[in-house]
Amino acid sequence: MGLVRKKAPQDPPEEVLPDRTSPETLLSQLDDPDADCRREAALGLANVPEAVHDLLARVGTEDDPRVLESILTTLAAHDTEEVAGSLAVHLASDEAGLRTAVAAALATMPSSVPAVLPGLLAAPDHDVRVMTAMVLADLQHPEAHAWLVRMICEDPHPNVVTGAIDALLPSATADDIPLLTDAVERFPDDPFLRFTVKSALPRLTGTP
Amino acid sequence: MVSPPAAIGLSDADFERFCEYFYKRTGIHFTSAKRYFVDKRIDACIRSSRYDTFAAWFAALRMSDHGEMLQELINQLTVNETYFLREDYQFDAMLSTVLPEVLKARGGRGRIAGPLKILSLPCSTGEEPYSIALRLLEEWDEIDHVDVEIHGADIDSDVLAKAAHASYGERSVQRVPKAWMNKYFVVVGGGRYQVDEGIRSAVTLHRVNICDTAAMRSFRDFDVIFCRNVLIYFDELSSRRAAENLYGALRPGGYLFLGHSGSMSRISPIFTPTRLPEGLVYQRPTGAK
Repeated sequence: MGLVRKKAPQDPPEEVLPDRTSPETLLSQLDDPDADCRREAALGLANVPEAVHDLLARVGTEDDPRVLESILTTLAAHDTEEVAGSLAVHLASDEAGLRTAVAAALATMPSSVPAVLPGLLAAPDHDVRVMTAMVLADLQHPEAHAWLVRMICEDPHPNVVTGAIDALLPSATADDIPLLTDAVERFPDDPFLRFTVKSALPRLTGTP
Repeated sequence: MVSPPAAIGLSDADFERFCEYFYKRTGIHFTSAKRYFVDKRIDACIRSSRYDTFAAWFAALRMSDHGEMLQELINQLTVNETYFLREDYQFDAMLSTVLPEVLKARGGRGRIAGPLKILSLPCSTGEEPYSIALRLLEEWDEIDHVDVEIHGADIDSDVLAKAAHASYGERSVQRVPKAWMNKYFVVVGGGRYQVDEGIRSAVTLHRVNICDTAAMRSFRDFDVIFCRNVLIYFDELSSRRAAENLYGALRPGGYLFLGHSGSMSRISPIFTPTRLPEGLVYQRPTGAK
């Protein structure tokens, strides 16, 4: 007993070779009853464009959240308008876990999200627009801040504006103070929006 | 190819092209804030490979792709400074809480099937996996009754070679108690100390990119993984991929230690955060859902 070595020492250190399971096998494993097997299959389909349709089809039906995460990780790497558009549909889902997971995946897709953004910002369901603010909160895109500003200035629903303010605050500066106070004036009867801005102002103004 | 140039100037466009290429190969994302750091190391690579311009060197790099040029570049651009017993409150947590829990979950002493497996990724020049070995040998009573495998892995072949040699300067070992130094290190001259053969031979080293899902599939059933202060170098997508690969490398119920600067909460929800007296650790859930 004690410290043991996996196998005889090698010099130089052993290089790990990639797994070579075929895409066809991996696609069939997406239907495996074992969640770990489905999860591994979804991850193994990274860099396999032909698998995108099968993976997209499972986003709304996969009931294991960890398998769903792996499907979304693989899909997000494709970062195409087709994938972004298909994922964005789920921002309207009744399932909180699904729409939150999709929002997190879209936030890692800076190349394709701008193409679907106009539709999301104009979505009739204000909950979709709230989720869009969540996407923009983490999207690494030079225009993300400007899109959030637009939501704060123009969106007619106080929950959306509050969501956009929440998303903006980590990167907000003193220059954003008029934007925030104007939002409070636009929705004078919304206590949560007022509280959100009031809580943030001391940091932005540099006062205790 | 000609003699080494006096200086290599990268244009902004060159820098962007290079960063895009390096990200696709490794998952490591450099912003313009790292411009000086990246420029200096690219300059070193161009000089050592004796190309006269960035364009010529970059073209050769892309042609050779996974070859020696790329590996040299990775070695230059990954940060490797560490020391023995760094952030050792996490080793405290491993000894006092995590390993007893692992042992219990796997049936207890005498009934455990196979060794306990611990992975240090990235292991850099070896200080972390050897620190784990020292703490286990000196402070974990069960070490006489349980087999433990320690693995170290890194993307950088140069640091792995140093880890295999396991010879360290004064600064690297300054936190190691004198009694441990006398017991487990050999003075090799030049103010350097080499980890003794018994411990060196017990640590298995691997070269792997944590973002490479296909390669990471060979890492399985680890009870504990230390992946400290590395995810901060990745962008959101690469972090997600790394998190998925770490999850796959853990046994259900296994524990993941991130460093002081790491947090899984903004990367992926697949782990269960567990608060220990020594700090936060992440667990692969045992249930299917």
